[in-house]
Order: sequence, then structure tokens, then C-alpha cells
Amino acid sequence: MFKKILIANRGEIAVRVIRACREMGIRSVAVYSEADRTSLHVQMADEAVPIGPSPAAESYLRMDTIIQAALRTGAEAIHPGYGFLAENAQFSRRTAEAGLVFVGPTASALELVGDKVRARQTMEKAGIPIIPGMKTAAGTAEEFKAAAREIGYPVIVKASAGGGGKGMRIVGREDDLLPALEAGRREAKSAFGDETVYLEKFIQEPRHVEFQVLADSHGRTVHLFERECSIQRRHQKIIEETPSPVLDASLRAEMGETARRAMEAAGYTNAGTVEFLLDRSRRYYFLEVNARLQVEHPVTELVTGVDLVRQQILVAAGERLAFSQEEVRQRGHALECRIYAEDPGQDFLPSPGKIRLLREPKGPGVRLDSGIYAGWDVPIFYDPILAKLVVWAEDRERACRRMAAALDETVILGIKTPVAFLRAIVTHEAFLAGRTSTAFLKTYFEDWAARPSDPDGLRLALAAAAYAETAPRSKPRYGGDGRTPESTPSPWASLGPWRLGGD
Amino acid sequence: MEFEYLVDGLVRKISVARENEVLILREGEAELRAEVLPLSEEELFLTVDGRGHRVFVLRDEDRTTVFHGGREYVLVHPRRADGAAFRGEEGGPEGGVVKAPMPGKVIKVLVAEGESVRKNQTMLIVEAMKMENEIKAGRECVVRKVHVSVGDLVDAARPLLELE
Repeated sequence: MFKKILIANRGEIAVRVIRACREMGIRSVAVYSEADRTSLHVQMADEAVPIGPSPAAESYLRMDTIIQAALRTGAEAIHPGYGFLAENAQFSRRTAEAGLVFVGPTASALELVGDKVRARQTMEKAGIPIIPGMKTAAGTAEEFKAAAREIGYPVIVKASAGGGGKGMRIVGREDDLLPALEAGRREAKSAFGDETVYLEKFIQEPRHVEFQVLADSHGRTVHLFERECSIQRRHQKIIEETPSPVLDASLRAEMGETARRAMEAAGYTNAGTVEFLLDRSRRYYFLEVNARLQVEHPVTELVTGVDLVRQQILVAAGERLAFSQEEVRQRGHALECRIYAEDPGQDFLPSPGKIRLLREPKGPGVRLDSGIYAGWDVPIFYDPILAKLVVWAEDRERACRRMAAALDETVILGIKTPVAFLRAIVTHEAFLAGRTSTAFLKTYFEDWAARPSDPDGLRLALAAAAYAETAPRSKPRYGGDGRTPESTPSPWASLGPWRLGGD
Repeated sequence: MEFEYLVDGLVRKISVARENEVLILREGEAELRAEVLPLSEEELFLTVDGRGHRVFVLRDEDRTTVFHGGREYVLVHPRRADGAAFRGEEGGPEGGVVKAPMPGKVIKVLVAEGESVRKNQTMLIVEAMKMENEIKAGRECVVRKVHVSVGDLVDAARPLLELE
């Protein structure tokens, strides 16, 4: 087993990996940019190496600097976390060339699943269902009509060079096809300089269901069941859960086996996720492979009892998976809420800045994977994820209640967070009824605004504010958390420089 | 003592009196008696009708933010604010000084001093946390001053532009 691992990431995921290392008796090396000098992952690691200025392009994305840091500190492996270099085939290759182990898939597997067209072809060849669509983009009006008929309406016009919804048109019937093609071409031309468009089946209000897979380098591939990640804002997940409220045992088994075969077809090793879209008649289609540990991995850990980061490290060290598909069980229900630094009342505007007060939720079945502390300044340079609140309970209804209670206990002041918004979702009747789809937020939460509706609570707040106004700024008399390094006089601060032991 | 706060667009007038550690709040007919124990600069322990509440209070120049029972209450100070706080801070810049909606980095300056701008014209783009935020003109006006240039880090208090 490795003795030392470098974690090429920051924030909550770096903290998560450091914890796994510590439990396995492996020393951890953190890397940090200028903006992250005082970050939690830096405090928690056994060693920390500065890797450059704040912008990610000059620090967390600098492959050579990171590999050099690993070599210099004597680390034997690099864990990339998620984001940054996690799915970068070149980084995986260069890590291996430097004589280090990349905790993730091989460069060739990363290249295959990272290329949407090749991945789609590979899956189709392996008999995995993919979203029906045109194989070629060029064609006459008649060819487009024939293709649309074969795919079946509704279809969606997509730009080949596309992205961000530009050039996309949904077409429900043949009469509307030609005008939509023309409009799509115009938009694609002006957005990408390329007017090529193609047709694909349009999936209405799909659910996003993904399967966690683990594969060792000895030919064993197992899936660890699904996660449903349909609650999304701006195509980014904010709530995930497992089991999915919509799968039954046979569909679950079928999709799980499909995910397993998909990863085998890609020659994939280590932890990865196969994403599917599930339509309203419960047909599923391969979407893509996420070739990394995912943000939402903890829900899978809670229902299966498998520590995914530990398994990643074991697999990277060449060990065999110690369990078979039949031995993996799903028990109870887990939910995750992502806590970002953003304002859900203002179209999710980012909200970096100093965290002035923090109280973390606790209790049975409550887990918080966090990268923050009170007094820390959330930098403007990176992804806004602060923490993930994850709960487990015997069933979905109890998990929702537990989540609502845990969110009530969560206090993050100084910056905006979606804590109240998340609470509104997990207590909403449509969510409780399991009517989750990617259109959920648009349908039920388009104009959401936090309003303190409780008059007793407001009166108490007024009393507290007035008291604070009249009270002399007194020293605390009754302890409390007082985790406010700036304003609370601390004996350490008033003692001046000091040393342990003395030399 | 009398206090006024602006909460969700409504002015709340209250009076408070203190008897030792008991605070008596009156708002119209309503009365609330709370025993208050300060835990720290920002935490109070309030006992009301035998029930204890741990309450977090953050004081800023123009507002006090109170958190308890899973809710955040933003109480704006009308008397001390310069009026801007009273109107609320939402809505596009309509004239005068334009400030950043969030801390971030200026990645584009699309207007010059002396330039006339249309309503909804994008004047600046500020980026934070990988999100671009366009700052648009709230009405037709002239850019009097540009205080920032590309690459500048800005916070929510720093003026970006002056319009007239």
C-alpha cells in the first residue's frame, strides 16, 4: 500500500480524500494556490505545497508543478478529486510517466469516455441503449424528414458545434421541422460559425439516473446501484438521492447490469459513473461516463456501506475488489444537498466572502462533507461548492424529514447560501411524492424567495436585534461556540507569541 | 427605547425596555418578554415562555442579520442608512454610482467615459466562481466615470461606474 498520496484538489473533496488517507495510515500532501493558503484542506493534510497564483489555470491546472510537488514530497500516487485535472487523460499519462500512480482510470480509458462521439459508438456496439439520433449531420430536407420519422417525434434540432442551448429547437410535428431547421442553422451559424445541425430524439422532462461502478485491474467490475440527480439548476445538480424513487427492482437490476457492461466495454478501471436519461415511459438511454469520483458519491456510501475513496486507493494500488456484485446491498435511503456560495433569491448569483458564523448540523444519520470554517474567506476563483449535507434514514420519507431538520440546524452567515431554498425543496409535496425531474425547479421554484413568514420568529429576531443594539459590546459570559476568531477575545490572541515546551 | 427596522419592505416600529436580564419588547398591542443571556458577541440565548432559543446576531452598518429556528431575518436600519438600504439593493443600476453585485474580477469593460448607453446595455462583466455576471444599464444614460479596468478585483462596496 502507498505510504503517501498527493491530493491535486481543494475544498471539501480534498478534505474527504485526506480523511480516507488518514484512516488507511497513508500520509497526505495538499497543494494550494495563493487564495487557499489558509484553507481547510491545507490545515488537515500532513504536508502542504504551494503551487502558484490564485487562478486555477496558474495553480490547480498546472500538471508539471503538481507532479513535481508529488516527486519532491515523496508521494507515490496522486488523487485528482473531481473537476480540475480529474478527467484529463494527459495528466493521467504524465503522472504514470513520472513513475507515480494516478488514482483513477488509465489515460486510454479517459480518452475513450471523454470523446462523446467515440463513447457513443462504443456503447452502441456493446448493445447499450443510446438516445436515437442521426448518425450524419448533412442532408436534404427530405432526408431530415425521413430521419425524424424514424426517430419519432418530438425531436430536437442540435448544432454539431453546439453547447449552451444555442441552435437547439424542439419539434413536435413534421410541419414545424423545416422552419426549425432553418432557425437552428441561423443560430448555430452566428454562435459557432458552423451551421451544421442534426436531429436527436427529444426526451421530455427526463430523470437523471446514474449508476456508480467500481472496477479493479483484475477484471472484476461491480455496480453500486443508482443515484437520482434530477434536481438541477442551470444543468448543475443540487440534490441527489439513492435509491431513485422511480426504479423498481427489475429496472434497477437491468440498468445496473447495463452500466457494468458499459464500463467493461470501455476498459474502465477504478471508480466511475454511467449516466442515463430515463424518459416518462421508463425507457433509459446512455448519456455519458463520468470518469471520476463524483460530488454525490456519499449517498452511495451511506446505502451500500462501501467507502468509495478507500476503494479507489485500493484499486489504484493494484488490489482486487474484495466483494462481488451479489454481495453489494442497498439499505435505507440517502439524500444529499449541495451547499454552494450563492443566492437562490437572485438567480443563484455567486456569493464569495467571509464566513462570519458557522454552525454545523449534527445527529444520527447526518454527515457533512465540508471545506469551510468560520472566519474563512470563500475565494472568488473557484467552484462555489462549500459543503455537502448528506443524511441517511430507513426510508425516503424519513430521510426527507431528517434533511429538513439538519438544514434547520445549519447556520452559515456572512455569505449567501441556498440552505433555506434546499429546505423548501425537500419539504415540497411534489418532491415528497417523488415527482422529481430535471424540470422540477422550473416547474415549482421559478420565483422562489425566502420570506420569514413566522411572526413569532420575527418578533424574537427584533428583540435580539434591539438587545444587540443596546448592549455594550460585552465579553461573553456563558461560553457557547464563539467560533468567531476576529471578534471574540481569545486567550491565545492576548498572550502574544508563545511556544510549546520552549527550547 | 424606540427602534425602527425595515423587514421585507415593511417598517416595524418597536419599543424595548429592560428589567435586569429581561427584555420587554412592544410592537403595537403585542408584547414579548425574553430573558437574554449573551453567549458571545454574536450569539444570544433568549428564553421566552420557558423555551430557550439560541439566536445569532450579526451587526453591520446598514443592517442586522438575525438567525434562529432555521430562518434568517434581515433587519435593515432605516435611520442610519443613507436611503439606499431603505429602497433595497435589488434592481439594475438606474443612475449614480454602480457597484458590483458580488465580489469578483472585472473581465470586460464595454463602455468608455462620456459614452451614452441604452437601457439594458451591458456595461461591464464581472466574473466570480466561474460565473459571468453582466452589469446592465437600468435606463438610458451617460457614463461619467469608469473606475475599474479589466483584471481588477472588486468587492460589493467598490464603485465601478458613475452614470448620469
